[in-house]
Amino acid sequence: MSCNWRDTVALYVDDELDTPSQEQFRAHLSSCVECGAAVSAQVDLKKKVRIAGKRFTAPPELHAAVYRSIRPDRSVSPWWKWALAPLCLLLLAVIGLLIYARPTRDPMVAGLVDQHITNLASANPVDVVSSDKHTVKPWYQGRLPFTFNLPDLAGTPFQLVGGKVAYAGQQPGAQLWYEAGLHKISVFVFQARSGAGKGGLNRDFSFNVNLWVQGGLEYYLVTDANQDEASRLVSLFEKANRP
Amino acid sequence: MNRLQNSDFERLALPLLDPLYNFARWLSGDSDEARDLVQETFVKALRAFGSFQEGTNFRAWMFRILRNTFLTSRSGLERRMTEQEGEAGLEEAAVTHNTPELAAIRKADTEMVEKAIAELAPAFQEVLLLADIEEMKYQEVAAALDIPIGTVMSRLARARKQVREYIVRAAGGRP
Repeated sequence: MSCNWRDTVALYVDDELDTPSQEQFRAHLSSCVECGAAVSAQVDLKKKVRIAGKRFTAPPELHAAVYRSIRPDRSVSPWWKWALAPLCLLLLAVIGLLIYARPTRDPMVAGLVDQHITNLASANPVDVVSSDKHTVKPWYQGRLPFTFNLPDLAGTPFQLVGGKVAYAGQQPGAQLWYEAGLHKISVFVFQARSGAGKGGLNRDFSFNVNLWVQGGLEYYLVTDANQDEASRLVSLFEKANRP
Repeated sequence: MNRLQNSDFERLALPLLDPLYNFARWLSGDSDEARDLVQETFVKALRAFGSFQEGTNFRAWMFRILRNTFLTSRSGLERRMTEQEGEAGLEEAAVTHNTPELAAIRKADTEMVEKAIAELAPAFQEVLLLADIEEMKYQEVAAALDIPIGTVMSRLARARKQVREYIVRAAGGRP
């Protein structure tokens, strides 16, 4: 090979030329048959050497041995790791117990709190607008399969705004809307669910939620008013619905 | 400041296991010795990992440890005793515009090329293995073998020339 560029062939094939030199050599290749053939042969040889030279693969036992040798902590456990095992089990048991014992939110209560919040934001929180219990109670006739009494609010801070039909667990019920100063109060009345019998104060929410069961009906009082006011309205309802 | 952890060593070194074994197998010519070499390389490298300079070529560093381990082994010492190295200029290695030679290279099968590589003197073989099989740059080969870059280039040229000549001979043509 007599071309002056002959020493460049290997550098070009091995990608050792800088960009300007590569471009120069490429330009030369377009006019030099000798160098073109030499590059072609070098590339071909390099490829064949690469294929033939990758002849041996590390056996699996060598992989395992190397892995063990660089990660000895995986094969030999110190004593304190064994001591940790029962502690971990104990911790898991405690966490499990806490999760099991944690009272779950009654989805019915959660749904009613949501309805109360929706009402707070509504321009029309009630379907029957009246401060007269003798107007509101008859409105529910034919709309609900049960009846209940509304308390007499004379001399109390509570004012009846009205009511509408609410739904929970696909069952219809009453949502009564009261005001106590600037506070709004929802009293929901539904037919008692099977297994019902609980009552009291639910503190799972930021609102005060009072539950009680009376005369086969479940009552839920939801409000942002303080618990004293809530308890007072609960008492008034209980009194009104005593047989 | 050394911020490298053992987990970095695993991440960097484990992908090199097969290439290191292949290199060790070619160097030693023996599977058991290659296995020992690779294992010893990993142990040595992990121990010295604290002194490894982050940002330098880790692959070249690992191959260098393996090669040094080999050279201090019994077969490595024997190799050094018998090594005859003839350096050659690049001009010796340039492929000539010779049609029978090019045709022989094109027709050469893997077995023939394997034999050609196996026939190479160790100093040429290792340069060829790193440059053409591991696809290292000249600078990386020089770092792995601890030789000047010019020596890498001349040995590589000589190695390729010898492989070509073997192929032409095996194909029945003139060397």
